Amino acid sequence: MSDSALRGKVAVIGIGMSPVGKVPGKSPLWLAASATKKALADAGLDKRDLDGVLSCHAFASPFHRFSVAFSEYFGIQPTFSNTLQVSGATAATMFNIAAAAIHGGLAKVVLVVASDSLMTGLTPDLALRSLTESRDQQYEMPFGIPVANTFAMTAHRHMKEFGTTAEQLAEVAVVQRRHAARTPGAQQTSPITVDDVLNSGWVTTPYHKLDCSLISDGGAAFILTSAEHAKELGIAKPVYILGGGECYTHEHIFLMPSLTSTGAITSSRLAYEMAGFGPKDMHVAGVYDCFTGTVIMMLEDLGFCPKGEGGRFVADGQMTYGGQIPSNTHGGLLSFAHPGMPGSLFHFHEVIAQLRGECGERQVKGAELGLVHSLGAGFATNATTILGTEATL
Amino acid sequence: MISSEDARRKPVPTPDADSAELWRGLRDGVLLLQHCRDCRHVQYYQQGMCRQCGGENLSHRAASGRGRVHSFSVVHRAPGPAFKDDVPYAVLLVDLEEGPRMISTYTGGSPEDVTFDMDVMLVCEPIDDTTTLPRFRRA
Repeated sequence: MSDSALRGKVAVIGIGMSPVGKVPGKSPLWLAASATKKALADAGLDKRDLDGVLSCHAFASPFHRFSVAFSEYFGIQPTFSNTLQVSGATAATMFNIAAAAIHGGLAKVVLVVASDSLMTGLTPDLALRSLTESRDQQYEMPFGIPVANTFAMTAHRHMKEFGTTAEQLAEVAVVQRRHAARTPGAQQTSPITVDDVLNSGWVTTPYHKLDCSLISDGGAAFILTSAEHAKELGIAKPVYILGGGECYTHEHIFLMPSLTSTGAITSSRLAYEMAGFGPKDMHVAGVYDCFTGTVIMMLEDLGFCPKGEGGRFVADGQMTYGGQIPSNTHGGLLSFAHPGMPGSLFHFHEVIAQLRGECGERQVKGAELGLVHSLGAGFATNATTILGTEATL
Repeated sequence: MISSEDARRKPVPTPDADSAELWRGLRDGVLLLQHCRDCRHVQYYQQGMCRQCGGENLSHRAASGRGRVHSFSVVHRAPGPAFKDDVPYAVLLVDLEEGPRMISTYTGGSPEDVTFDMDVMLVCEPIDDTTTLPRFRRA
């Protein structure tokens, strides 16, 4: 067992999410506040109990200091706050940092919250262009590089090196759509086939439209506190943070050390070491799925299957119920919702709900250990969090 | 938050102190790489110190322009309105003969012709009065 000072010291005691998908007329701040009210109610706490807020920037919001603007909007004056930015990986970093802050005494009860309104707050054109703006203005943007493009070039190289097929990529979308069909409130629930994916039109090769995640509105919120305080509050099913790890390998896609092996190898190794568990111990996972090929590469880099085997692993049914690691059981960014930076928070919501045994017909039987991996910016940023029930402490 | 008007304009690089020489070179038809005199590391893009050893004893030398396609993706859905008239176009990751990898786009042929490990050659393409982009054609 790991001797990390952080392992099991902090618990998630409340979870909540706003409506997701197309939520017209609601600002990112409203979406964040709506999710927070639910998370507070879930924890049985009042907003006055919060003394920390961690968030990330929302593209459809003019506020640079989103966590600070949120606090004003919600009528609180926290003594610990930050607006973090490591693209899609921010979600898991918020959990890791909140845990460290609580354990280190900077705050007692921390709200992790993020939201955006990419679908109705921005037009799809503006949403895509805003995401593209995150690329380097001198060396990348002038060439017209969509967000999908950097990920597409990694998947394309994976196909060349390991024989991964377009059908295997498509299977990820098919599986996750099947998962989403059982998730109340999911944005896309109509069943799709591999042929549907392959015939959905090119976005940027090898990705078709249905290989790409959604553009959505929505937000999610979580309340974290010390394991000790969770006990004092009498929380029925605290979910503990057992391990966290991060890795940042490059900024520009052309300086990525390898297009097919990512920083997720290191971030997950650090998280597993802290947790004292390995990939084979996990019962459920939330795997960042901005594109189908991303999931295949992550299943490898998170240690669920050997390098190069991800395509076959998915085609063999290993990422769904009855397989080795049921992943993205809510439908993920591909089918549940993807409001940008907050997208990976829904993976946290799902994995925590799974560990609390609250997923109804989606429930993974006996789920006690779960992993969430968040990433962004063409695999530049990677962060992993491992969560467990009381039984895993 | 980006405005609709901004989104209709193509992003044009704004050189900084580190990169001014690179963009000047491209206007003159050469792609400059930085060679570290201390550790012999060769780098793209331009910056004030060597990424390998931290030394500041760097010299600019023109690349041969020869490279090979490491990976690519043909864009069919433009990243916003500014690029809508350009699709389909192939984005390339090119391994230069001198070592560094760079991102660029394919020119002088159909994007469908691009393959892995294809040999390519630098083409300096002016996009306006002040900016020239490094693109690649089939060698």
